[in-house]
Amino acid sequence: MVLEATMICIDNSEWMRNGDYSPSRLQAQADAVNLICGAKTQSNPENTVGILTMAGKGVRVLATPTSDLGKILHCMHGLEIGGESNLAAGIQVAQLALKHRQNKNQQQRIIVFVGSPIKYDKKALETIGKKLKKNSVALDIVDFGEADDGKPEKLEALLAAVNNNDRSHIVHVPPGPNALSDVLISTPVFTGDGEGGSGFAAVAAAAAAAGGDFDFGVDPNLDPELALALRVSMEEERARQEAAAKRAAEEAARQEKGEAPQSSSQDAIVNASEKVADPMDEDDALLKQALAMSMDVAGSDSSHGDAEMSEANMEDQELALALQMSMQDSTNGSQSDIGRVLGDQSFMTSILSSLPGVDPNDPQVKDLLASLPDQSESQDKKNEEEPPKEDK
Amino acid sequence: MACLHDHNCEDHDCSSSWSLYKHIDLSKVSALNEAVSGSVKSVFRAWEQRLDSSGEHLASNEGDPELLVYVPFTTDVKIKSISVVGGADGTSPSKMRVFINRDGIDFSDAQSMQPVQEWDLVENLHGVLEYQTRYSKFQSVASITLHFPESFGGDTTQIHYIGFKGEATQLKRDVVATIVYELTPNPSDHKTRAESGGGLSHVE
Repeated sequence: MVLEATMICIDNSEWMRNGDYSPSRLQAQADAVNLICGAKTQSNPENTVGILTMAGKGVRVLATPTSDLGKILHCMHGLEIGGESNLAAGIQVAQLALKHRQNKNQQQRIIVFVGSPIKYDKKALETIGKKLKKNSVALDIVDFGEADDGKPEKLEALLAAVNNNDRSHIVHVPPGPNALSDVLISTPVFTGDGEGGSGFAAVAAAAAAAGGDFDFGVDPNLDPELALALRVSMEEERARQEAAAKRAAEEAARQEKGEAPQSSSQDAIVNASEKVADPMDEDDALLKQALAMSMDVAGSDSSHGDAEMSEANMEDQELALALQMSMQDSTNGSQSDIGRVLGDQSFMTSILSSLPGVDPNDPQVKDLLASLPDQSESQDKKNEEEPPKEDK
Repeated sequence: MACLHDHNCEDHDCSSSWSLYKHIDLSKVSALNEAVSGSVKSVFRAWEQRLDSSGEHLASNEGDPELLVYVPFTTDVKIKSISVVGGADGTSPSKMRVFINRDGIDFSDAQSMQPVQEWDLVENLHGVLEYQTRYSKFQSVASITLHFPESFGGDTTQIHYIGFKGEATQLKRDVVATIVYELTPNPSDHKTRAESGGGLSHVE
């Protein structure tokens, strides 16, 4: 909860067009800046943050230190890329802006993003660092982007010159799959001078790190509805696959030659539904469908449907599953997979009971469940439409 | 303890006249370019302990003898004279410039502004020298900023003691300080009796 005035120096030089940090280096910086501003103002509401850009036509102060987050976010829009970043001038202007802060009780801090090559030599940077130290200004350096020879050493020298009492830090962020802001969240840039971290930073870090602990990357505490929906759809999918596999085995046992195209189409369907988990099966499925088509002398609609389905699967798996369902309804005489799944009363009961707001003991629900197993085909289709709506 | 002044000290007690250190708001004392953060507070002591250099002292950063010391008082004071005990081997400050009732001065301000008064100092290792002020200008001092631009050739500047002689007026200067309003409630600032006594609500 240190009372602090911070100036953030953004690098908007030509080097920031590069996309090695998604979506582009400049955008990654903007996201990081937004998070930093939020963290600072949350850790102490009287903290102020200001922004300046170091490249473009020259060093330009976009916002003087203010606690108004909206103004800062507004400044981050319409940032233009161009020119070369002037690190020394940027830091000096930041120091000047901090000197004229309204609340002299605030500690001074500069956060500088260095993404382009540094044209100053080590000595000049050390002089700047000493001047900052003399005026009791802390400096956080975010080293990312271009990694030419000497850049890390120069920045380390600058940090050593500034550092007083470990109030200044440096973070090297290599390009990679993690977003710049995610990497920064766990560093002292966010968490402050090792005081134990502000609440914002701690929560954000926990969420980012713990996303992988939960089954679906979603914390049930944070978003229970999403977690529930994901769980339900996974269970449905699993049951559907099992039913399809069971049915394929049955049909293979019952019907040999005549049904061979059917069963292979079932295989294709099973493979198609497994595609959600395993993209490698796509090739196998396509191969099987091709075989099915060539073997299918009768030229039933199912093979054509399979071909259509396979194309759809490559593009949109959900659409493909829907196509499957409609295909099965039209081609298969017996109960479709969905009908079977939905006809399984115990499974339906468990699904419905896990849904919020649906009480399995409700008489209407009970009637519906009872009506499922003994239905004719037309009723099948009708009821299939209703439960999917309920489930969704 | 024997007083090295050239007058007869039995008439008055020297230490009481140097007692302005009691009116210094120590928590708000700060210095720029000090090597160890917070060491500036150790130089304000009683007169008798002015030569007690075993404790901490104020030292500037290596290679840079400039020092800036900001001293706020709890009441308005009148300062008659100032005494500075420096370090040995050329680490004593050679010049002193003071500014009155201004806070937030940094080095560029100090170098460009006209001080209220400035002195050329001499090495004063035993604390016997005092530097008199133009008393009319030091009548109601709420805070004083001392700027030591150079030393006697040493790499750093060391200060062991700073003493102020004068009187306290018991008046608080009317200053509109920076008023900071609470934008969001901070529960740790509002400890209620219930919390310490084990109330029903629990605030993190």
